[in-house]
Amino acid sequence: MSSESGISGLDELFSSAGLMDGFPENTTTLIYGPPKVGKSIFCYQFAYHGLSIKEPCLYVTADEGMKQLQQNMIDFGWFLQNFMDEELLYVIDSISSLSGVSIENTSTYNLSKINDPTDLMVKIGLGTRFVFKKSNEFRAVLDSLTTLFAFNPEPMVIRFLKTYLRRLKEAGATVIVTYTEGVTDESTEKTLKSIVDNVIMLDGNYMTFKSNLGFIGTAEYEITDQGLILGKGEIL
Amino acid sequence: MIVRIASGITGFDNLTMAGGEIGLGLGGLPENTVTLIYGPPEVGKSYFCHGFAYYGLTQDEPCLYLTTDLGINEISENFKEMELVLDEYLENKMLYVVDTSDNGESTTYDWYQSASVRNPTDILVKVTSGARSISQKNPRLRGVIDSLTTILESNNEMLIVRVLKTYILRLKEAGGTAVITYTEGSSDPRTEILIKSMADNIIKLNGEKITIEAMKGMGRREATYQITGKGIIIDGNDD
Amino acid sequence: MKKTHIPKLDDFLGGGIPPGSSVLFYADPGVECEAFGYQTLQGRLEDGDHGFIFTNVTEPSSIIYEFEKFGWDLRNSVDNGMAFFVDGSSYFIGAPVTGKYGIEDYSEIEEVVLKAIADVPDGLGVINNLSTLIDYMDDEETIRIINKWNQVAKEQDTILLYIFTEWDYEEELIDKIKNSMDCLINLNTIEERVIIGQGFMVTGASWVTPSENMVLFNILRPGGVKIFIPKILVTGPFNAGKSSFVKNITTDSVSVDRMAMGQVPTTIAMDIGHMEYKGFTADVFGTPGQERFDLILDVLSKEAVGAFILVDSTSPKTFPRAKEMMKKCKAEAIPRVIVANKQDLPDSLSPEEIRKVMNIDQSIPIIPVSLVRNEGIEDALDALLEILYR
Repeated sequence: MSSESGISGLDELFSSAGLMDGFPENTTTLIYGPPKVGKSIFCYQFAYHGLSIKEPCLYVTADEGMKQLQQNMIDFGWFLQNFMDEELLYVIDSISSLSGVSIENTSTYNLSKINDPTDLMVKIGLGTRFVFKKSNEFRAVLDSLTTLFAFNPEPMVIRFLKTYLRRLKEAGATVIVTYTEGVTDESTEKTLKSIVDNVIMLDGNYMTFKSNLGFIGTAEYEITDQGLILGKGEIL
Repeated sequence: MIVRIASGITGFDNLTMAGGEIGLGLGGLPENTVTLIYGPPEVGKSYFCHGFAYYGLTQDEPCLYLTTDLGINEISENFKEMELVLDEYLENKMLYVVDTSDNGESTTYDWYQSASVRNPTDILVKVTSGARSISQKNPRLRGVIDSLTTILESNNEMLIVRVLKTYILRLKEAGGTAVITYTEGSSDPRTEILIKSMADNIIKLNGEKITIEAMKGMGRREATYQITGKGIIIDGNDD
Repeated sequence: MKKTHIPKLDDFLGGGIPPGSSVLFYADPGVECEAFGYQTLQGRLEDGDHGFIFTNVTEPSSIIYEFEKFGWDLRNSVDNGMAFFVDGSSYFIGAPVTGKYGIEDYSEIEEVVLKAIADVPDGLGVINNLSTLIDYMDDEETIRIINKWNQVAKEQDTILLYIFTEWDYEEELIDKIKNSMDCLINLNTIEERVIIGQGFMVTGASWVTPSENMVLFNILRPGGVKIFIPKILVTGPFNAGKSSFVKNITTDSVSVDRMAMGQVPTTIAMDIGHMEYKGFTADVFGTPGQERFDLILDVLSKEAVGAFILVDSTSPKTFPRAKEMMKKCKAEAIPRVIVANKQDLPDSLSPEEIRKVMNIDQSIPIIPVSLVRNEGIEDALDALLEILYR
């Protein structure tokens, strides 16, 4: 089972392998790489494309508050408000509480706290149920683990992530999680890569996809004002 | 489309002009973003900050300036070379300074606050109150932290990473565009990556070349530069 | 005995908590566990006791705000000296420390909390959150500190309530934590692919043999912890035995006729009753089987935590309809059990045959039942409870 990622060239890369005809559905994927290589843009694109084909999305924003998230997406010409009004998009904002402004929750927007994983998991439970009721096939984005690691001990973040991945996968979601390479211990990084089904490595020039089924594909990519665009890839 | 504001650095806005769209896209720093300026010591990072703040003030854009190494008098001296009288802006409530250098002078301006570099909570409280004071009357502001390194050296690094995150959120919320300087290699490699991940744009200065390693809406750019009495001057585009 | 002011909980505990006891609220990740600590504290304050909250998950100001949303005035209690904070959160995010005590380094926690305990003899302390402490200290150190706190609290007659989110810790650590407490209260999620409900159960208390009841609850703002009587649906095609099933599992079932206000008003009959089985309480709704009542099924299934789908084992032609009704429940993610009724009749299909014909996933139990012979009914109830409690 697969769905369209929305990343130009990525679905073609998958289908060229002959194994699947798009992004593997109901799997968990870690997107990692150094800072500023397009990890968040991947998330925007993946979520937005899903929404535009009526696939709901549970979006946990941990680096940027809601306002910045919306602004960042507008830079690419992607508008979120309608999808929130249509209740296709549910956002959990775990960072805005630090900004010191008071923001109210709505039916599709829930605030949490970056240093309170218990509360974050409560909100994720509520959000998952909400999105699940809209469709049993949906997308889930967590962007990113990086700030969570700055505000919590590493083992705590791993505990949280394991629960998050299990819950979302059980609910049928196709999950992507981002992480800035090099901000934790080597052993934590190893664990991160081992608890997901697939990893996508972005290094600024190449995107490399590895699935737990042994599929490895790589392609050059560029960040454009349309988002990430992959060049011709190859299967390794 | 990404809105950019004039940097105040000679040659920088040309360097960041949207390629092939001369006259359409203005160069500069993307508005409401945070730019990390990093590199070895003594390569002109502070001059970048001065130029950035100075230009904003001449355009009636207020500035929230956190200085850790240069005292207010040294900055004032530097500004004088650019023919700008700092005191006037402090008095007119256009410039809000939080000074954690030990060279702090006792001035009587409301908008001049000193704090201990070892007390990040107090720094954050004062910076936040500065951002609030400015944003009450202005939709936009410029923010400067020069330099993050000094604060990192005097405190638990991870605590400073969290405080920086909070600063960035609050500054952006206030409509700010910020420049933050950092001396390469001065903290744990993990901390350095975290700091880079929090910035929207990353610029490296090495004494000869300025490299825009990452910037919203554009690819990598590079040019040579000189430091003069009037700040940084970036040479014509190398491309 | 000190009342917890959590509905039902005081009954389960034989009236409340003896002074000096340590209580662990251990929660599945996803359960709103803080409310239990906060509600008890609020109740104790109203009864005139002193108390404190140790927090390492959020700043005191946001806890005061949380209380406000519950409808409780914690600020007033703090101002008049009845309550105070041990602020183990603010410093770590660069916010000003605002409690009576502040923590700037994890090595200070043990001593500072001991001081707080000594400040509220015969009162109450809430530790929120124990799980966030563990990864800052090592396991052994955590256990040692808990034991020390509990010992001093016992001497002072101070009750300590620990809020603990049970992430994937080593079993050994969890056992040690539990062994150091006087009372254990489990807060668990009810899941069917997603979390659809939450319940609490006393799993241990040194002063009383706890009842094994699980009580479902909601957290209301304002209001706090409120007991929630879940709905169980009994549905299935016409003539599968829904009414008799409802009558059999409930104590006081009634058939009600009510006007369904649609475009065409019709009278529908519903069987409603109250069920109590092995400590589980629910309102049972037997729904009409005809298609024109699907809207009712839609509405009811949104509020239900479980469903029995009755099928007539002798009538495969009704299976597609049963499956359609199941789908409606599936959309709302409620746990469901298929009751294969009329197993007493000679031409009835076995559960396995029904599974094959209906193409039902192994995860959904199919229980052979004969309502006329009163056989298999408890098996069906057990099967649903097992899903709810797992």
